[in-house]
Amino acid sequence: MSEAPVKQQEYDLDTSWMQHMGEWGMRAEPGKRGLTLAEIQLGSYGDIPEISKNMSGRPRGAGERADAYRVGAYGVRAKSEIWLQNATFLYEEALQRQWSSATDVPWHTIEALPDAVEEAECLLCTFFNEVEFVAGDVPARWVANTTPDFFEPRHVLLAQVMDESRHMDVFRKRALANGGGLMRMSGATSGFVGSIDLARDFTEMSTRLHISGEGAVLTMFRMGELFGQNEAEKIMYRLCAQDEARHVAFGVMHLRFLSETAPERREEIEFYLDEAEAQILSGVQNPAGTQAETAEALAILLGGGKEHYDEGHKKLLVIRRRQLKEYMQRVKTAGFGERFENGRSTVPQQYESAI
Amino acid sequence: MATKASQGMAVPAAMPDSSGEKAVEGVPVPTFDWMGLSAEWGTRIKPGEHGLRLSDLNVGIYGEVPEVWEDQTRRPRGALPRPGVPPLPYNLRHKHQMWADSAANLYEEAIQRRWIPATDVPWSSLKPLPDDVERAVCQVCTELMQYANTEIEIITYWQDQMSYGYYEVKQFLATATFDCARLIEALRKRALSNGGGLGQESRGLVNRMILESRGGWTESAVYLYLMRGSYMMLVLRGLLNAAHNDAERMIYGKAIEDWARHLTYGYDHLKYSVSHQAGQADILQTLLTLGEIMMGAELQESTTRPALAIIFGGGIKGGRTVGMETYLHLVGDFVRNYLAVCDWLGVPRAEMLHPMLKKYLEY
Repeated sequence: MSEAPVKQQEYDLDTSWMQHMGEWGMRAEPGKRGLTLAEIQLGSYGDIPEISKNMSGRPRGAGERADAYRVGAYGVRAKSEIWLQNATFLYEEALQRQWSSATDVPWHTIEALPDAVEEAECLLCTFFNEVEFVAGDVPARWVANTTPDFFEPRHVLLAQVMDESRHMDVFRKRALANGGGLMRMSGATSGFVGSIDLARDFTEMSTRLHISGEGAVLTMFRMGELFGQNEAEKIMYRLCAQDEARHVAFGVMHLRFLSETAPERREEIEFYLDEAEAQILSGVQNPAGTQAETAEALAILLGGGKEHYDEGHKKLLVIRRRQLKEYMQRVKTAGFGERFENGRSTVPQQYESAI
Repeated sequence: MATKASQGMAVPAAMPDSSGEKAVEGVPVPTFDWMGLSAEWGTRIKPGEHGLRLSDLNVGIYGEVPEVWEDQTRRPRGALPRPGVPPLPYNLRHKHQMWADSAANLYEEAIQRRWIPATDVPWSSLKPLPDDVERAVCQVCTELMQYANTEIEIITYWQDQMSYGYYEVKQFLATATFDCARLIEALRKRALSNGGGLGQESRGLVNRMILESRGGWTESAVYLYLMRGSYMMLVLRGLLNAAHNDAERMIYGKAIEDWARHLTYGYDHLKYSVSHQAGQADILQTLLTLGEIMMGAELQESTTRPALAIIFGGGIKGGRTVGMETYLHLVGDFVRNYLAVCDWLGVPRAEMLHPMLKKYLEY
């Protein structure tokens, strides 16, 4: 800044805004995890409206202006549409667990692999490179469409966009780091009716993206210890699993909130789950699915080579069973577990037969 | 390594076709149709002294960034396409609509420079301030939160329309919105932890201009970075100079690091756009003519004007003299910086600068 010469001039100073500020006298104190978002839910700043009337982009709790422009055009203004109880925790955890694919993955541990194994890994990386940013593009779109009165879930979604960006990056790096390259895209994420991309309701999107799609991927990442061929890959999958677990938790906790606060939407949600379950084992969006070519690649990786394909395939079945088991657990936690007992869902039978 | 023809390209294939292979009971016969399908094989990138960075990956076909990316699917750049995949609404498919050479390195820098308001900011250093100063700090925090919110909303509006061919930009913008979320968080925490609260919302003249810039991401970048961002950077520097405690110093200092990346991308993109798209400089002239009016009006009426003057002057009394003088010099510096960047972009504004901004050049 240039130096201000000292002048004797006295300027008018409008301080009328001081009479129109938000609630005063807040004194948040850091807790044992620092000053988290949970610590600043004080007074009116912690009041979350059931229906937001904020169309000007005002921070929740700030003083209103009658002449503020109505620039928000927010479509998501009902708390039940996007809220979850643990958003502040998930956001703070996301900040604490950020990592760098450039320096936190021990790339030097990668060594030349048999050709088939390298191809299998590169196919998987191409798939993840392609699908990971669905989970970046789509939540970003919903952030712009959600009132900032619900900034906590918006912040979690922005952290997710950041995470997915890093996932896209780490899988591209792996594909290009060991004598391989990218392979043919899967096309698994295109805009078919009922897809994550095209959902016109946030909860519908979240059910497909967070619970079904990312849930299946999370199980995969957690099994990265089994199919990772070196320390770099194992760490890569481990770090991605940490992130993915938060995204899945967002979906589960949001669905739970919705089921408790908007029971009239339960039947609608059941239909989304029906659709998702019809694809959970066979869909090409599940990299371990029966119709996905990545399943062949996984069998090679799990077996340790093409010559051990059948052995790898047996391990793949374990992953599929685990996907179904974890899926059922998530849906139960979200408050929709009855479907596994009343015959509506075929997942229990799929689970039993997926041996 | 065996080779087989794929999509018209001779590429190495790890495995021969699986036809004729013996089925194992209970295990479906694999097709291995996907094997050998790569547009370029044999890439072996090694980490450099800063690790394995995104920009390191730009070798061979993987580094070829086309002027137009017609593919409306999520095909990663360099991967083979799959016929029949329906398109998605990726409407920004020209390089000049979003590109900046610096995007990949800015992305990595953003990750390296991450910070955590909950635990990195020394909140215990906050001490009670005079009421008028606390109110001014809280008012500026509120205004800056809305700046950051506007940046989030305009980026996320465009982000999913940007083609995968320019993934480095999409990835950098993911860091930018995360930075914005973090600044909103940090400023909200500051406002609610020292006996104050949030201030009054902004009327939103420039926020509105940014959010209504729907002619393309470049138009948004003009208002978001060249105008608002340049001003915001000066405000942050002014706040850092006048910080009352280590907590504020940390917040403003980190925000300056973050916004320096945003501005670097923004200026870099605008330069690329002007240099690679005929007529773009003229369009920018028109946009800036309109933008200067909005910016000038907001500078005149915004509550940040008196609030910053109070902060710089140490209270209302000082705000009426040296505080306002300091603020006016800050705005003068903004206008001078703005003109310098416009010159660098090849969009000179000095002769056409709107009087509502020109008046600040005397400071």
